[in-house]
Amino acid sequence: MPEIFIRLYDVFMSTYEGFLKAVLITLEITAIAVVLGTVFGIIFALMKISRSKILQTIANLYITIIRGTPLIVQIMFLYFGITSIVVLSNFWAGAIALGIHNGAYIAEIFRGAIQGIDRGQREASLALGMNRTQTMRRIVFPQALRRAIPPLGNQFIITLKDSSLVYLIGVSELFGRANRAAASNFMQFETFLVVGMYYLVLVLIFTWLLKLYENKLNVDGS
Amino acid sequence: MIKTIDLHKSYDKLEVLKGIDLDIHPGEVVVLVGVSGSGKSTLLRCLNFLEVAETGTITIDGRPIDRKKDDLSKVRAEVGMVFQHFNLFPHKSVLENIMEAPLIVKNENKAKAKQLALDLLEKVGLSDKADVYPSKLSGGQKQRVAIARALAMEPKALLFDEPTSALDPELVGEVLQVMKELADEGMTMVVVTHEMKFAKEVADRIIMLDEGRIIEDADPDTFFNHSTNERTKQFLEMVNV
Ligand SMILES: Nc1ncnc2c1ncn2[C@@H]1O[C@H](COP(=O)(O)OP(=O)(O)OP(=O)(O)O)[C@@H](O)[C@H]1O
Ligand SMILES: [Mg+2]
Repeated sequence: MPEIFIRLYDVFMSTYEGFLKAVLITLEITAIAVVLGTVFGIIFALMKISRSKILQTIANLYITIIRGTPLIVQIMFLYFGITSIVVLSNFWAGAIALGIHNGAYIAEIFRGAIQGIDRGQREASLALGMNRTQTMRRIVFPQALRRAIPPLGNQFIITLKDSSLVYLIGVSELFGRANRAAASNFMQFETFLVVGMYYLVLVLIFTWLLKLYENKLNVDGS
Repeated sequence: MIKTIDLHKSYDKLEVLKGIDLDIHPGEVVVLVGVSGSGKSTLLRCLNFLEVAETGTITIDGRPIDRKKDDLSKVRAEVGMVFQHFNLFPHKSVLENIMEAPLIVKNENKAKAKQLALDLLEKVGLSDKADVYPSKLSGGQKQRVAIARALAMEPKALLFDEPTSALDPELVGEVLQVMKELADEGMTMVVVTHEMKFAKEVADRIIMLDEGRIIEDADPDTFFNHSTNERTKQFLEMVNV
């Protein structure tokens, strides 16, 4: 039994320098994916609740396709698709693919948040003479955004884990780094256990930050 | 000021307004009464185009409104509305609530909008609440802010949909007081309310709605004391005056 701890310790000590650098790449790719996903998400959420049938259909199509196919297929498809058109690093191809994937889920987050705002808010704004765009921008959206932040935080955590899949297109993020380490040190079990701990710690940190934010929201009221 | 001819409004198959002819003069205070479901809210909401009546004409200040072509935001900016549940913007302070529409709709400069908002807050007796957020206010205070917010657009008329129905009884008076002062200043008002004392004292006219039709349109004395309409008598008995 103690032997395994010694081996884990060895693996940890021999990998942490590389792994910590890889953690940064994982966080970067996650942050970019969530920011891109938020931009796509807001656009597609607005399309989905717009009065235009065409925009609604486009948004529905996007959301259905993304939610109906595996992320790994999307990453491969977009990687080969994007890089055949423009020259792009693996890192950016992966981040964009994850961003497009996230957009579909984030669109649903924003749609729910926007539709969850009491319709009295919209009516009061319209009754003051604000038009539909002003009402969305100044009254409904800012309130929806506050409500969307906890589920967006969740999406960030999911993306953090999903980002491990971009190792398949050769990005040296945390999982990719672990995979290579395992192949060279022949201690697969220990290496993957260690990298699992890295992800767990990251997720716990973000869960904790999210809790702090939610508590702050509750204290502020409404 | 606000005139409607043969207004009809349906929700799907349900016809809620069945031909409303209304003529509200400048400076007049009209109280709209009727049992639940008679169409009072629907009528008010049609008057500022939160709902669109299918047929009939609405004329505001002598100008017939074309529901398809006219910019309805502009029309709404001229006819204010006060809601039962206040609908203050929770993410904005009291002052910001009041300044919002003048800044955004009228492109008013900030200093002027702020001065107007402060004046209005003083008018409704809430000068000390300028920087507070709505969640910290009592119901009566919220409704007074909502009135100030509507007044900030300097509307030609104000519509009130049961402004005191969501309030604890002890807070009703402060809101009615503000409304009474507005009436005295000559504001044109259409008020849906169950406050019969207010109707008696402040209204110039009382209109009774029943199943989507106007069945009585009279001054308060006639309405409360000399009505011959059976439905009106039943209604008065029900609200016990
Ligand atoms: N958005 C809507 N969709 C469908 N039906 C509606 C809608 N709004 C109102 N109605 C119906 O129209 C009728 C009239 O409603 P309205 O709210 O105008 O009545 P009211 O006189 O204001 O009643 P209350 O005193 O309860 O507020 C009711 O039967 C109501 O159920
Ligand atoms: Mg009503």
